[in-house]
Amino acid sequence: MNLRRLLAISRKEIRHILRDWQTLAVVLVMPVMMMFLYGYALNADAKDIPVMIEAPDLGPEVRTLIDKIDASQMFKVAGVIPVVDDAGELFKLYGIHALFRFPPGFSADLRRSGGAHAQVLIDGSDPNIGTMIRNAAEPMLLGATLQVMNIRQPKVLDLRSLVLYNPDQRSALFFVPGLMALILLMISALLTSIAITREKELGTMGQMLVSPLRPLEIIAGKIIPYIFLATLDGLLILVVGYLAFGVRIAGNPWLLGACSLVYVFTALSIGLMISTIAKRQQHAMFIALGATLMPTVLLSGFIFPVASMPIFLRTVSQVIPATYFLEIVRGIILKGVGLDVLWKPVAILAGEGALLTAISLRKFKVKL
Amino acid sequence: MVLAVDIRNLSKDHAGEKALRGLTVGVPEPCLFGIIGADGAGKSTLMTILATLWDADQGEAKVLGRDLRKDFQSLRRDIGYMPQRFSLYQDLSVMENLDFFADIFGVTGTLKAKRKKELLDFAALTPFTRRRAGQLSGGMKQKLALACTLVHEPKLLLLDEPTVGVDPVARRDFWIMLKSLRARGITLIVSTPYMDEAALCDELILLHEGSILARGKPSQLIAAYPYRLYRVDADADVPTLTYPASKAPPEGFTLIYPSSGALHAAEPKAEKRDPFNRLRASVPHSAAVTLIQPALEDCFFALLTGAGKSTQP
Repeated sequence: MNLRRLLAISRKEIRHILRDWQTLAVVLVMPVMMMFLYGYALNADAKDIPVMIEAPDLGPEVRTLIDKIDASQMFKVAGVIPVVDDAGELFKLYGIHALFRFPPGFSADLRRSGGAHAQVLIDGSDPNIGTMIRNAAEPMLLGATLQVMNIRQPKVLDLRSLVLYNPDQRSALFFVPGLMALILLMISALLTSIAITREKELGTMGQMLVSPLRPLEIIAGKIIPYIFLATLDGLLILVVGYLAFGVRIAGNPWLLGACSLVYVFTALSIGLMISTIAKRQQHAMFIALGATLMPTVLLSGFIFPVASMPIFLRTVSQVIPATYFLEIVRGIILKGVGLDVLWKPVAILAGEGALLTAISLRKFKVKL
Repeated sequence: MVLAVDIRNLSKDHAGEKALRGLTVGVPEPCLFGIIGADGAGKSTLMTILATLWDADQGEAKVLGRDLRKDFQSLRRDIGYMPQRFSLYQDLSVMENLDFFADIFGVTGTLKAKRKKELLDFAALTPFTRRRAGQLSGGMKQKLALACTLVHEPKLLLLDEPTVGVDPVARRDFWIMLKSLRARGITLIVSTPYMDEAALCDELILLHEGSILARGKPSQLIAAYPYRLYRVDADADVPTLTYPASKAPPEGFTLIYPSSGALHAAEPKAEKRDPFNRLRASVPHSAAVTLIQPALEDCFFALLTGAGKSTQP
């Protein structure tokens, strides 16, 4: 590999990018535009949200309530624990969104005085789910408790709230990670696959091949400018997220940067893969849109929670890089967790990237 | 004699058709070698194979003494290839295109500056270094493309239809450049559909449906012309003479076809009868009939019609 030749390709690619100002404008304006669009347009519905129960005494009343929670459409009980020391640990490790706490003597209190205290801890890092849990938990538990105690409550007023227009600014916590996943993928996979197939379509690839250039130099040289472009867009999203939507990075911003680069690498490998298949730019664009952007938007958990998907789609979402990147970004930005928790998604992303890059380099044709 | 290109029995199928059928040809060094043929004759297929971009299905080929299939990587340093379509970057300037090709071939420093200056002068592009390649005229684009393929001083230049779509004046300029490269000792292989460019080559082959129909120096091909050739000019009543292609040639003649505003008619050298009356009788509005020397175009026409007849059942 010759660095001078690699840089010659990069320099040329940067010139292409800077001269195609329409594409450049789209790349820089679109993330900001999408942030404002998603900021006000998103809402989601969820079911089978994983929750846990803290219940030191498992009297018949408590057991009935747990069954009711589990039987509800909205929740799925992931576990029942007698005593919880560190609730935060549970949230981070098991990915639950709520913890229902029934104190000792809950059943006895109910039986004796006809009234008892309970608590629900809600994961607010995903504001839509948090709001939904908050809205649903009390009426559901109250109804169940009354049923357990055989009390018929006269129905005076049934008030259900529905959030329109998402006025709560904290929804930004939800879409900023999603947009990071989407935009970085788009720049890396879509633009690079187009940039490489463009050389094939224009016939300049043949011209480049009849030279001392090696495949790795061509590929790396073409990719490097897009890594910078992706970095720029990632920063843009974070800065706009902070200034306009008040999203702060709770965790280590360098870790976020490093993980984003791993994700960009995975996305680039997808772009490469596409460019080994596609012969024309349009071809590449459709594959990139169909194979990366659509699943990312629909299946990564960006808009629709993975938990609410049928098993087949859930399996698909396990392959999508954005699923793991969302986990990482939400973890770092919202929960402030580190590599000790996130090593697994990071490793999966790196592995997927390495695999696809190896295949693409192998498939890269040194002849036409 | 050293051969720049030595091809033996080369075959290649392309898009389901036999693009090359067992080609055997040697190109001496140095030489301005022409590959003449109509569209679909197999010119581009041959060029692309010689440029190391396609593998032949059968046969052997040595280029600059190296095996085309095994040593393609090292050959790519020493050949210059100009594809059929304009393959430079339209959004880059003349200078940036030259820079790019210098960089990828490892031409650096003062050598790079010197070569670029020479090539810009050579291609008469010095006043346009900052202009985007996409905004150049067709002829200037081709000159730039040629300059870019020369920046690493290749020993062998492969030019695939470099003058197609270029105006006649620019075509002539381009060939003057090729001639001067030849004079410097570079071997050039040029494919072209234009018969008039064939006369400018040192040696050439005529390709037809993937086979070599004729090869030799232009003078040899003309000397081998088997017919006696006449030009038939029109009288003042019609602008140009025509002869229906479906109609058989006039009595005693083998061929009759339009050429540069007149009709050319060829008869076997053994024919003893007076040609003038036979021509006048079957070509209305014919005035003067002149015995002429055949050009390469006439040679090719004779060969191609011969080939056409022989392939018909």
